[in-house]
Amino acid sequence: MMRYLPVLTAALGLAAGAAQAAENTLTISVYSFAQDAFKEAVYDPFEEICGCELVVETGNSVERMAKIEAYAADPVVDMAVMSAHDALALARKELLAPIDTSKLSSFDQLYPAAQDPLGGNLGVGYTFYATSIVYRSDLVEVNSWADLLSDEVKGRVALPAISTTQAPLVLMMLGQALGQDDILQTIDTVGENADDIVTFYERSSQLAQLMQQEEVIAAPIGRFAWSRFRGTDLPFEWAEPAEGQTGGMNVMVMTRGNGNEDLALQFMDYWLSTEVQTRLAELGIDSPANAAVEVSAEAAENLTYGAELINSLTIMDPAVILDQREAWIDRWNKTVIQ
Amino acid sequence: MFENRTTGFALALPAAIFTAALFMVPVGILLSEAFRADGQWSLSGYVEFFSEPLNRTVFWRTLKLGVLVAATSAVIGYGAAFAITNLDGRRRGQVFGLVVLPLMISPVARTYAWIVILGRTGIVNDAIVGLGLSETPVRLLFTETAVFLGLLQLFLPLMIISLVSAMENMPRDAIPAARVLGANWLQVFTRVILPLTREGLVMGGTLVFTGSLTAYITPAILGGSKVLMLETLLYQRVNVANDFVSASVIAMILIVMSFSANLLLKRIATARR
Amino acid sequence: MPTLASRVVLALVLTFLIGPFVIIILAGLSAGNSLAFPPDGLSLKWYLKVFTVESFQASFALSMFLAVFGTLAALALGVPAAYALNRYDLPGAETVRIIVAAPIIVPGIIVGLALLRYLVVPTGVGVTLALFLAHTALVLPYAVRVVSSSLHNLRADMEEAAVLLGCTRLQAFFKVVLPNIRAGVLAAFILGFVTSFNQVPVSLFLSGPGVRTLPIDMLAYMEITYDPSVAALSALLAFLSVAIVFAAEKFLGFSRYV
Repeated sequence: MMRYLPVLTAALGLAAGAAQAAENTLTISVYSFAQDAFKEAVYDPFEEICGCELVVETGNSVERMAKIEAYAADPVVDMAVMSAHDALALARKELLAPIDTSKLSSFDQLYPAAQDPLGGNLGVGYTFYATSIVYRSDLVEVNSWADLLSDEVKGRVALPAISTTQAPLVLMMLGQALGQDDILQTIDTVGENADDIVTFYERSSQLAQLMQQEEVIAAPIGRFAWSRFRGTDLPFEWAEPAEGQTGGMNVMVMTRGNGNEDLALQFMDYWLSTEVQTRLAELGIDSPANAAVEVSAEAAENLTYGAELINSLTIMDPAVILDQREAWIDRWNKTVIQ
Repeated sequence: MFENRTTGFALALPAAIFTAALFMVPVGILLSEAFRADGQWSLSGYVEFFSEPLNRTVFWRTLKLGVLVAATSAVIGYGAAFAITNLDGRRRGQVFGLVVLPLMISPVARTYAWIVILGRTGIVNDAIVGLGLSETPVRLLFTETAVFLGLLQLFLPLMIISLVSAMENMPRDAIPAARVLGANWLQVFTRVILPLTREGLVMGGTLVFTGSLTAYITPAILGGSKVLMLETLLYQRVNVANDFVSASVIAMILIVMSFSANLLLKRIATARR
Repeated sequence: MPTLASRVVLALVLTFLIGPFVIIILAGLSAGNSLAFPPDGLSLKWYLKVFTVESFQASFALSMFLAVFGTLAALALGVPAAYALNRYDLPGAETVRIIVAAPIIVPGIIVGLALLRYLVVPTGVGVTLALFLAHTALVLPYAVRVVSSSLHNLRADMEEAAVLLGCTRLQAFFKVVLPNIRAGVLAAFILGFVTSFNQVPVSLFLSGPGVRTLPIDMLAYMEITYDPSVAALSALLAFLSVAIVFAAEKFLGFSRYV
């Protein structure tokens, strides 16, 4: 074996070199979700158009952010999509480049909230989602965010872990329902009820399983996860709480100094186009940020769709999330999971 | 022992240099961040870590579960290993294969299996309710019990393998000889089996204990954020806060715990000599 | 120990160890859309679906490559080291032992992160090579320990005899030592293969564009699609491993040595 080791190492090195040598490639960093569908609906057709090769990197947002940070001097990733507050965190570290929105032909069709959510044109929103409570309507009824702490769901409710994107949104709405105006206060209330909460989940996909086996009968989720529940035979219901629904937006960003700006812009333009946004919406993958998109009633059921709904969402300022998150996590660690 | 040290070094050093250069150096740099604060050498990371009540809880829980899993697997492991070594050749291979089998299955999937087993509508709760032990299903998921079972199932095979290979190498007539000389089974175990298999016990114990300390998927899925262990806490620090200093501190603590366990087990083993 | 008691012990232990595996196989056979036991009707659709997921094919190939060659590289480094540590009176032997054992006790996340930040980024080596090196380093402790354990129980005077009878040290190693520690080497290979193949935390950060190991791919898949195909894939992988163990048993007489 010793004899073959240098050969092997050289072969590995060659393979790695070859992969990096390819000209005219665009490297994007995206959520790992629904990649087969994205490939068909976005990546493959774009490769046809640009005559380039698309390299797709996936993972959870923090891994992907850590990598963008690690490669700051010589970016590997040219373009990325992530939550608005993660993007803002990168923007504050000066890792992002402004986007030349004049090159985005569908820019004017985007909902106003999506046009410049980070300031300085550092990001463009490409999808919205609503967040509400999903529940087993055969076992319980949910009409208010405060019902998450009611006796009916005691011991059978799950909340998002503080580390998730959904947690601040849910705490905000729960606080509103309880008449509290400070999230820290709401965290304390959750802490007092911690024994009655089955788990604080990190992935909503795990939740689908838990709700099928009746371990959990009510939990807040983002609309993007709703199709998973709708697809089963069990009576799941999407709550329309008295306090309204909350939600958020994901944005696309460009890394600073990536040297591939033109191709990245071309790709963003393609993704935001009415054609592609409609295709993604009809597949039930991403709700459109492009207001010109029209989808069938069947597809709309899985989406966060329509100006009325999107304008009604209570969306949290990403800067508030970013500034307060440490304090919330601290308090959460002291009072909830202690 | 052979005399020619040059040959000895030539054989031993490639492995050591490989690990040192490609593994210890990068990890060492990263860990050194745990001793730095405001550009100076400092222990403040540790003081801060242990001043948090949550971190102390997590530390003790991790130690407790690690010891429990290692001790339980040693007890079960001796029984199983002894039974396996007493089988005839063919049967022994088959049973050994079955013991190794769980190691082949991705820990991701094995852990998910426990969600189905321990759930409210799972077979364990069906049995509990069916036997009248409780009127309503018991909440087992996201408790220390669930994490303990998951870890035990994950690491027990390592203990059994270590003990089986140690017992295989025991002189075959040691046990019959001790029996003939009038030793009871307890004496056979403490005076014959234990001393002769201590290498295997130390290896198995270290593997199981350190495995339990550094397992990520099992505590993450079966314990969640309600039953944090050091590894899940570490991940949370990196994942949520990009806080590499705390992560390095936790890593350092885990390493010290594993090293101490290894040394302690070795000490115990050699003391019996 | 009476035979009945050992049978009961074995039955209980095997149920505990194998039970979840059986449940995974059956859950993968479900005709329904979620992981459940007992399964919701029977069908092979999830087993078939596994082969249609493109990313699984690439990540399977990568994981297989890392597990086989990473472990062989670890044995190439580890067997001589274990031999030297057991047969030569080396000053600093304990230091060597500790260095080589180090990867086992460093949490995987830190390893992955450290290699990304201080190896891949500054030197520009490919992620695949970094993964290969990381997996080799991770498997090395198992190789050294398991082989050491075998060597420890093999008396050195057998080799001395071979040398007295005219063998060189090298010949003695290949003719006397290696055949006797074959089971240990094989056990080390299987242990290393499995460790590498199922490794999650290290590979978490060491995944580049288009380069991802199978378990990471499974986790990513499961994060999104909670259907029984991951159970089906796990079952298939386990069957593959069983086939490897059986082959080892058949051609090398595994069970006679373990």
